[in-house]
Amino acid sequence: MGNVPASDPIARLPIRPYEPVRRHRGWEVSGARGTGVLDLVDLTPFAKMLIRATPGSAFSRLLACPLGRTRHDGDGTLVLHSGPDEWLLVAPAGTRPSIVEQLDAVGAGHGAGDEGELTSVLDVTHGGFLVRLTGADSNRVLEKLCAIDLSGRATPNGSVFRSSVARVVCEVARDDVEGVRSYLVHGDRSVGQYLFNAMLDAGSEFSIGVAG
Amino acid sequence: MARARRTGTASMRLGPQPGEVIDRNLAYSFTFNGAECRGFEGDTIVSALAAGGERVFSRSFKYHRPRGLLTATFHDPGCLLQVGDEPNVRAAHRKATSGMVVRTQNAWPSLRFDMGAANQLVGRFIGAGFYYKTFMKPQRLWPTYEKVLQRFASGGRIAPGCVHGEYDKRYAHPDVLVAGGGPAGMAAAVAAADVGADVMLVEEEHELGGHLRFGGVADLRVLAELRAAVRARPSIEVLVDSAVTGRYEENWIAVLQRGLPHVTERLVKARAKALVVAPGLIERPYVFAGNDLPGVVLSTAARRLVNLYAVKPGQRAVVFTGNDDGLEAAEDLGRAGVELARVVDARSGGELIRARGKGRVESVELGDGSKIGCDLLVTAVGWTAPTLLLNMAGDTPRYDERAARFVPGGGLPDDVLVTGGIVGDGPIEALVAHGHAAGSAAGNRALQTGEPLEIPLLEPAPHPALFRARTHGIVDYSEDVSSKDLIAAAREGYDSVELLKRYTTATMGPSQGKLETINTVAVLAEATGRTIAETGTTVWRPPYVPITLGALAGRILEPVRYSPIQPWHEAHGAKPIVAGQWIRPEHYGDPAAEVWNVRQNVGLIDVTPLGKLDLRGPDVPKLLNFLYVNKWSKLDVGSVRYGLMCSEDGVVMDDGVTGHLGPDHYFMSTTSSGASAVQEWIETWLQTTFTSWRVHVTSMVSAYASINVAGPRSRELLARLVDDVDLAPEAFAYMQVRTGTIAGVPGCHMWRIGFTGELSFEVHVPAGYGLFVWERLLSEGRDLGVGPFGLEAQRIMRLEKGHLIVGQDTDGVTQAFSAGLDLLVKLDKEDFAGKPELAWEHAREDGMRLVGLQPADANLVPPEASQIVSGDNMIEGRITSARFSRTLGRSICLALVSARLAEAGTSVAVKLPDGRRVPATVTEHHAHLDPEGSRLRG
Repeated sequence: MGNVPASDPIARLPIRPYEPVRRHRGWEVSGARGTGVLDLVDLTPFAKMLIRATPGSAFSRLLACPLGRTRHDGDGTLVLHSGPDEWLLVAPAGTRPSIVEQLDAVGAGHGAGDEGELTSVLDVTHGGFLVRLTGADSNRVLEKLCAIDLSGRATPNGSVFRSSVARVVCEVARDDVEGVRSYLVHGDRSVGQYLFNAMLDAGSEFSIGVAG
Repeated sequence: MARARRTGTASMRLGPQPGEVIDRNLAYSFTFNGAECRGFEGDTIVSALAAGGERVFSRSFKYHRPRGLLTATFHDPGCLLQVGDEPNVRAAHRKATSGMVVRTQNAWPSLRFDMGAANQLVGRFIGAGFYYKTFMKPQRLWPTYEKVLQRFASGGRIAPGCVHGEYDKRYAHPDVLVAGGGPAGMAAAVAAADVGADVMLVEEEHELGGHLRFGGVADLRVLAELRAAVRARPSIEVLVDSAVTGRYEENWIAVLQRGLPHVTERLVKARAKALVVAPGLIERPYVFAGNDLPGVVLSTAARRLVNLYAVKPGQRAVVFTGNDDGLEAAEDLGRAGVELARVVDARSGGELIRARGKGRVESVELGDGSKIGCDLLVTAVGWTAPTLLLNMAGDTPRYDERAARFVPGGGLPDDVLVTGGIVGDGPIEALVAHGHAAGSAAGNRALQTGEPLEIPLLEPAPHPALFRARTHGIVDYSEDVSSKDLIAAAREGYDSVELLKRYTTATMGPSQGKLETINTVAVLAEATGRTIAETGTTVWRPPYVPITLGALAGRILEPVRYSPIQPWHEAHGAKPIVAGQWIRPEHYGDPAAEVWNVRQNVGLIDVTPLGKLDLRGPDVPKLLNFLYVNKWSKLDVGSVRYGLMCSEDGVVMDDGVTGHLGPDHYFMSTTSSGASAVQEWIETWLQTTFTSWRVHVTSMVSAYASINVAGPRSRELLARLVDDVDLAPEAFAYMQVRTGTIAGVPGCHMWRIGFTGELSFEVHVPAGYGLFVWERLLSEGRDLGVGPFGLEAQRIMRLEKGHLIVGQDTDGVTQAFSAGLDLLVKLDKEDFAGKPELAWEHAREDGMRLVGLQPADANLVPPEASQIVSGDNMIEGRITSARFSRTLGRSICLALVSARLAEAGTSVAVKLPDGRRVPATVTEHHAHLDPEGSRLRG
């Protein structure tokens, strides 16, 4: 890759992309087509921002998302409130969630001054893997890796939790796609390949496929 | 090789039966002890063999008596067979499949002529307690006895090269779990679903239905209705060929799933809001002489064979019964064309004395003195209640003398309900109604809805107490324990049921008491003159059925962590090493050459696993001051400081550097192995003690690929890819940090630090670009001699430089002064973690000290952990690190030694593993190379 000009850096996924491989906004991604029944998609290139703020503070109210829930923002950003003082913003690759601009405008992002509530905004796009598992049996795949109750009563669409998935700490958000059960799983980048393999293994009996 | 077809066995397959589960359009063949057998889809191994006329399947454990079918269920003790590589297969339950290779266990040279049967001749000498009495003395011969006894152990054989199956686990959270898919269980599931509950319905057999499956036309009609009702409710998940193996606190319920297409077994860990126990009843064998002869079967077994598998169990039968089920079995046999020689009803005074025959039933002797020729004896003498789940839920079942069986004791918690035959008897409508009420109540309790429901009474029907005839027979078929053995043991003083169990091994075999517990208790009661209620039972313990170790282990889920540069390492022959969860390159073929290249030119090492913590907030300096033993109040933006972190006992916990990136923004680097522990340590302080401090800590380990560019030409190399940061020594000095663009990738941190002792830059690149930047550095530095180096080269260089590794050069008791970091510890600080202990250590001036050490023999590298000993062989320390340094042309070490030996120039003795003592000298510095640091400051 030494002949790649310095002005054209390539970003790689933590999960080796399935063929055919293509470029998307500077990332090397898979162009594979899934089964349409139960598909696992690597969404790691999505922009990911971690917000830390005091619960109940003005900043947290701006995020407008209760603990354990997700919220779709108007600009395509998904807000996940997965910890008492933590929010994860997920937005299409190469974009910057408008809510971050709003936070910046009110003084968050770099640690507040002496008087204000401490809020911090970190770009963790490169720190985590993000996959989406979509299909009617997606909960049955996760049930083999995660001890949390995935029933509609306990974790309905729009809920998010942090738990062990295949012995890895992850954020799991139920985010159905056009009425089809779907989960977003976010965790540490370094275990992305391991967890991807574990999900494929667990999903083999449900004819899981990989989509780009 | 042509296989022998089974000969001399007439086909016992009947014409189509209303409830048969076989598919006559799908025929296949398999082998049993080398001979070809035929079966239909749906047959169990044993039903297929029985259809071919086979009556004997195994030999018993101790006396090697021929054994046939008894219960035709999973628990049938005479039907444990070897299938391919798999031993102890429950062949009366396991479905036969095409090409299966089935063999008998525990018989040699053949099932028909088994040498082990000679044990019967000496049977009177090897009764209960035989092992304990015979093999106690002399004690020294026990190992020999053990080997001999092992040869007599029953069971199949596992081939060492057999294929390991795939196993699985799953978590489930049903609102209601129903254990048992008989009529009451199905009704309970339907009712629970109808009040809105998500239900898991678990059935041990291959299909739902319980005893309705092998019942008459009316039973089949109800069965069809119940099955349709279950199917119509998508909120009921049905697991067949599965068993609830135990119930633990808060309805944590273990379910073993078998017969899955993708895995051998799966353990389901279910957390149910309510449990409905509906296991039905297990038919109990009768104890009489000859009761283990092939051809003696339970009434339910006869009905299963006829009605489920369309197999005629024999030609001429005697039926001995104490209930109507025996009469229904007789009716089925008659319909199947079996000649009914006699139906003996115990309720009207009928008595069974013994069965006779050589290798199989040939005649039966009755109480009236008549002897009847037959090849089939069917017994129906009562039921055992499988109370395991009730016991585990805290209930103490009580013995109902009128019904001659145990029933629930009424001590269940609110979230455990019980229904079906285990509660009581009645027409099928009564069982279904009871199940329905129990299911509704369970659903309501799970969902916390509805009013408490009245569950109708279901009384157990009266039943004669039929346990043992006038003659003695086998009580425990699995362990070959007879009623005579039990009575003899009771006379020897083993008159407590728990003691009797352990002494005789009754109830301890593969059927685990399901068939023999009540008879054991009854025989003991008889021997001691007590009632069954007074005698009590042994405790039912989980698991209800055997679970393989594979199912307990489940999938192997061991997280593995990879650096973004891993594909390059793999493609370039790196030897991998497991470092915690990380896979890292140990070297690329020649670590010594890698060291040489770094010392002469420039090298790259992937140090991504280093701990990286983003620290933000106005109180970060206070936090750093507290965490580290040195001072942190004044650290300019762009500066970096080394820090040592101790736990509260002053023991070295971690070390690393922290840089000041911007206003209220710091970045901490920790050891790779300590990354998680340090983050937890910080959070613990912030969340428990310094709750008002405004600090946010975020792990960024994987957010950045970390590359150390080390060597005298590292600046030259990096400069070719960086144009927005001045890398000149005067602009970017040692222990400083800058943020800029590398190879077009913005947001990279560049640190003037290093572990190798060379001029080096540690660059942190947004992880997705890690591989790109690594490859760019290699291609741009080709003319500079750039090359990768691995962990081993780094270990050599850090040892040359005298940098300690926490956890290797320190241990669980090494405090900061012992680590030789005296100058770093600032006891004049107001407070920091570990200060009191370190102040005490400083005052004592004793303990161990980390020192540099050089063996007198420059070519000798003492193995790490070699002891340092005094003249009188007392331990004075140990080697913590040792390598041969090609740079220095000699061996070098770090060692922990007694404080009195830590003076530079002291000669110590190193004791090698082979016992030799070799001299070594304490050096002035930890560093063996460039102690002044002129190279790294370059």
